[in-house]
Amino acid sequence: MSALQTFMLVVDHDKEEAKRIAEGVAQDVESKKTTLIEIVQQLGEYINDEDPILRGKAVSFLTSVIKALPPKFLSRQQIQVLTSFFCDRIEDGGAVAGLDTLQKLDRFTKELAAEIVQSLFSHFQDLQSRSQSQRFQVYQLLNELMSSHRAALRDMGETSLVGIVDLMTGEKDPRNLMMVFSILKVVMMEWDITSHVELLFDSVYNYFPITFRPPPNDPYGITAQDLKGRLQDCISSTRHFAPHSIPALLDKLDSTSPNVKKDALNTLIACIHSYDPDTVSRYSITIWEVLKFEILNAQEEFLSESSLQALQAIAQRLSEGVTQVSQDLPLAQYLRPITKECNEQLQEPQQKQAKPAQQILKSLSSASAVTFTLIVQTVVAPIFTIYQEADGIAKQRALLETLSVLFESAIQVFGQWTTRGDEVTLENPLLEFKDQFSDVLGQALMGAAKEEVSFRVTALKGFLRLSTLRDFFQDNEIGLFVQYLDEILLQEESVGRNDLKKEAIAALAEISKHKPRLIMDITFPAFVATLPDEDDGTNLTYLSTLDTLAQISVERDIFETLFRRLFSKLTILLQKEQPGAIAYPRAILMTLLYVMQQRKMDTDPSVDLYFDKIVIGVCRSVSESASGKGKNQILNDATILDTLGRLCNLLVRSVSLQKQEQVAENVYKLFSATEDFVPVPFAQGATADQERTIIISTYLLAGLFKDCGNRIPYTTPNMSELLSDLVQRCVSETSEPATHLAFLRHLALLVNKFLSKEDLNIAEKLFDGLLSSEKNTYSPATIRTIFWLSKALVLRLAPTTTHVITSLLSLLSSPDQQTSSSTARGFSILLGEDDVLSTTNGASIRLLCKQRVFTTVIPMISSRIREVNVAGSDESSKALDHIKPAHLTALTGILSTISTALVMPELPTLLPLLLQSLDLQTSDSVAVRAATLDTLAVIIRDNGVAVIDKCGHVHSLVVRLLKTTEIKSDVVNPPRLRADSLKCLYLLAAQQTPGDAGSNARLPPSISPLLPEKTNVLRSLRAVLDDPKRDVRKAAVDARSAWLRGVDDAPEEED
Amino acid sequence: MAEVQNSNPTILNAADLPTRSRSAEKKAGDYGLGIFAAVPKPADFLSSDSEGDEDLLEEPIDEQEIYDLIKSISDPEHPLSLGELAVVSLPDISIKPTLPNVPDSPLQTVTVLITPTITHCSLATVIGLGVRVRLEQSLPPRFRVDVRIKEGTHSTGDEVNKQLGDKERVAAALENGALMQVIAKMMETCQ
Repeated sequence: MSALQTFMLVVDHDKEEAKRIAEGVAQDVESKKTTLIEIVQQLGEYINDEDPILRGKAVSFLTSVIKALPPKFLSRQQIQVLTSFFCDRIEDGGAVAGLDTLQKLDRFTKELAAEIVQSLFSHFQDLQSRSQSQRFQVYQLLNELMSSHRAALRDMGETSLVGIVDLMTGEKDPRNLMMVFSILKVVMMEWDITSHVELLFDSVYNYFPITFRPPPNDPYGITAQDLKGRLQDCISSTRHFAPHSIPALLDKLDSTSPNVKKDALNTLIACIHSYDPDTVSRYSITIWEVLKFEILNAQEEFLSESSLQALQAIAQRLSEGVTQVSQDLPLAQYLRPITKECNEQLQEPQQKQAKPAQQILKSLSSASAVTFTLIVQTVVAPIFTIYQEADGIAKQRALLETLSVLFESAIQVFGQWTTRGDEVTLENPLLEFKDQFSDVLGQALMGAAKEEVSFRVTALKGFLRLSTLRDFFQDNEIGLFVQYLDEILLQEESVGRNDLKKEAIAALAEISKHKPRLIMDITFPAFVATLPDEDDGTNLTYLSTLDTLAQISVERDIFETLFRRLFSKLTILLQKEQPGAIAYPRAILMTLLYVMQQRKMDTDPSVDLYFDKIVIGVCRSVSESASGKGKNQILNDATILDTLGRLCNLLVRSVSLQKQEQVAENVYKLFSATEDFVPVPFAQGATADQERTIIISTYLLAGLFKDCGNRIPYTTPNMSELLSDLVQRCVSETSEPATHLAFLRHLALLVNKFLSKEDLNIAEKLFDGLLSSEKNTYSPATIRTIFWLSKALVLRLAPTTTHVITSLLSLLSSPDQQTSSSTARGFSILLGEDDVLSTTNGASIRLLCKQRVFTTVIPMISSRIREVNVAGSDESSKALDHIKPAHLTALTGILSTISTALVMPELPTLLPLLLQSLDLQTSDSVAVRAATLDTLAVIIRDNGVAVIDKCGHVHSLVVRLLKTTEIKSDVVNPPRLRADSLKCLYLLAAQQTPGDAGSNARLPPSISPLLPEKTNVLRSLRAVLDDPKRDVRKAAVDARSAWLRGVDDAPEEED
Repeated sequence: MAEVQNSNPTILNAADLPTRSRSAEKKAGDYGLGIFAAVPKPADFLSSDSEGDEDLLEEPIDEQEIYDLIKSISDPEHPLSLGELAVVSLPDISIKPTLPNVPDSPLQTVTVLITPTITHCSLATVIGLGVRVRLEQSLPPRFRVDVRIKEGTHSTGDEVNKQLGDKERVAAALENGALMQVIAKMMETCQ
């Protein structure tokens, strides 16, 4: 059997084998064992067969052989002969593929390309009746020719143009259409189409709008958006289409379908961007006339937005290359009817349609400097006229808002003072009205009645925009505005929600970025002058003054001024014998702290100055005060020390290693210069004043790098002695609460951050030592110490973590009620966020520690509660009544400190426990129940009712929630609990489907798991509507309407 | 309602609508304000929530609360609320004892007067029904709800009032699925 015959036999079922045969023949041709002529001759007997399949296979054989030949093998003449051969047989299978192979060869010529195209046109007039794959092959060949031999095709002129369009007319398959659109786009852009514009336009516009929806499990990966994009490219490809495309697209806006309108608008925008400005200009007013309706009577927000975009795009195109503003510009002609319309709508600026008019002005005026100028020239003067004649403040306010919109555009066009880059060459047209603006806004801001807050706020915002606008106001004009703001803040009484003052502060802060000098020269002296020398209890306005100063001092230069002024106030206070209330120095420290927290202190060049003054200077004074040498008691106060400590902590973190080492050495000595000061560790019989300095020491310690550990006093050869001393002080019941907390934190810091891995056994020994009581009874101070030590160990996931947790849990079952309940509350310490033992301070907090604790604790608590429940029926267990609430309290303590993502996998175990927490009814369980409701609210909000339904607890949950909303004499349900449980009920009904769970997946309509509860809930909530507390009633109204609206037999079907 | 009847009504600014002033509840000038709230006070360690006396203070339902319930209902014609369109306003709401002669009676009557945006508004009845439904769903059973068109603001005010005041007609209207859908849509914005 010849190679040809074998090929024809296998080609249908074994492509690989067929390919191998063809390759064999190709090698023979190459090695001259056979010739191409012979092969073609062999085909002879099949090639005229009546069966098209047989013919196709024969032609495919030749194609396969050619494909297997090296690219340079065929001579020009051979290519020519083969091309003619394939062209004659182009309708037979394989011929198109053969031509595709030939046209890729280097020796293929322009003439041959034309021949192929001709032959495609003449043989495939019925292309659309052929199979999809065959059509695809033809388009592919055409596409290839387009990219490799475009000139040849283009030289054919209208023959190829008409031919291509005819060939592809009627195509419907999305895969093919993708190719059709891209071929046609080339023709549109590169051929001379002047005499066939309509033909070409229709060939693509017939497909508009695309309504294709990919089949389920779409195998081709073509979306409607892909098709829309290519079609849009075609329609917008050439300006010659404009007479057809723009009217047609505008017609489509009459459609009732918002999607069709959206496509039409998007295509229109593409056309505006792509056609030349002259063409755009010709249609600009027509487009406005139609789009006006879409904006003024907006059906859908997105349609009005797209329409505004289109109008803006026109303005941008018409501004191209314009350097001189004149009323003869096409742009001016376009804008004329628009500004006229807007001016008319703005005659009654409070009415609904003034809003869209404002939007039109906003998007157009921000299009370019020229547009901005033209609009300002026609719009601003009439607005002033209406403003002068306005009969009410509400109307004036609406007008000021419109002006403010223009100011915003001005900022977009001309930039702000801080904007870098080139300045616009055109002069800002607003300059002409500068004095008027200043007068009107100043009058509105300062002259209006004090109660007209929203009017004054509008004026303030407008003034602010003009003040930040580049090269607009002179410094003295902005200074005037700054004075107004100072006056509002310093002299006016607050009105209502204090909106005006908030805005004034924000405005000063904004100006401080652009004109810091003005703030320093005007605002600072005015504000600082009002600060008293001391707080004599008569006047607390210094609080709001400091608040304002803090918020406007984030800029570097301003902060330095602020620091100097406040620090000198503080220094004076420290020297006074009668310094007045402690609140004042504390507020000063808090102000400094607040601003430093807002700034990046580690890059501040003045940080060393702040460090020397605060960390070294004030700390030294603290040591003096502690040993009784202070002029007054300010630095003996715990709240002062706490704030000062935070300030020091921040500064220590921002300074160099060298300074840090200095701090490490002075952690306890506090840079003290006097001999009288005794550092806290190992001090015998220290006074409360001396002990209190541990607060500062703790904050200093927290700010240190780990590497400074060896510089800390009392840590060589190891920390054992120091830690033991601290534990002694921690378990002592005598120290003040603030000092006590500092001891606990100090201990935890050392163990967590500075204790080396090798020395961990020291901490473990201390832990076991603390837990050695025989009666399992401990004082609250001891329990706190145990928990803080545990916290330090658990956060770094020390090897003994499990042992630690088990020991803590066993304390819950202590027969001593005091021990048990203190332990229960301690669990919120374990994973709780702490300002000192934090990641910011470099504490070792392992990522998995929360998960580890939670997964260890949950099963243990769960099984312990089960035991207690079983034993509960037993009379003898009365003495252990406190154990169950203690475990539930511990659980909520843990839950309040971890994210719900960790909770979800354990929900089946957890939910019954939470429900039991809700069953507690006494007043001391309020905190537990509140925390439980918080947890439930988060679970429901994030996951919907489905997760609760899955555990089978919907009914039990709803019943308990309803019970918590009741007011009864024997149950303690404070208002907060009632409101919280109503919130859970609301969330149940409102979050029936979790937001993100596959919105595409069409679930079968199912009955809501809440339906059986609906009647009961609605009836019970009706009574809650009469709750004595307003917030509870509000929550009840929301919950009830959510259940009325959201709980139905079947979910609503989408249209 | 294909044709919008009043396409360009006057709008009040949302910030200018009457609200309950909270100033009495928070004492001004305290540490709890502004930047000073950012720094926690030295924690009172392991303290439990203190229950203030204010929990015992009763807050009766007043006109502002009624206003808050209905101001956020959407107008069926515009994407605006009844409050912004001044269809409902605080002075037009009153609460009175239903039986003034029986001092101990808990029964109260809420009267809401509605001002349509134009005098021939055919949607006045729908708006009235919406307000009525919202109040009936949100007030305890001891409240009677009376919703009426404000005198002189509507050309067929008496007719509409008859419709809104007639229990049976209201009940019949609420059985009407299409109407209920409109009302449900209006109430979607109630928060």
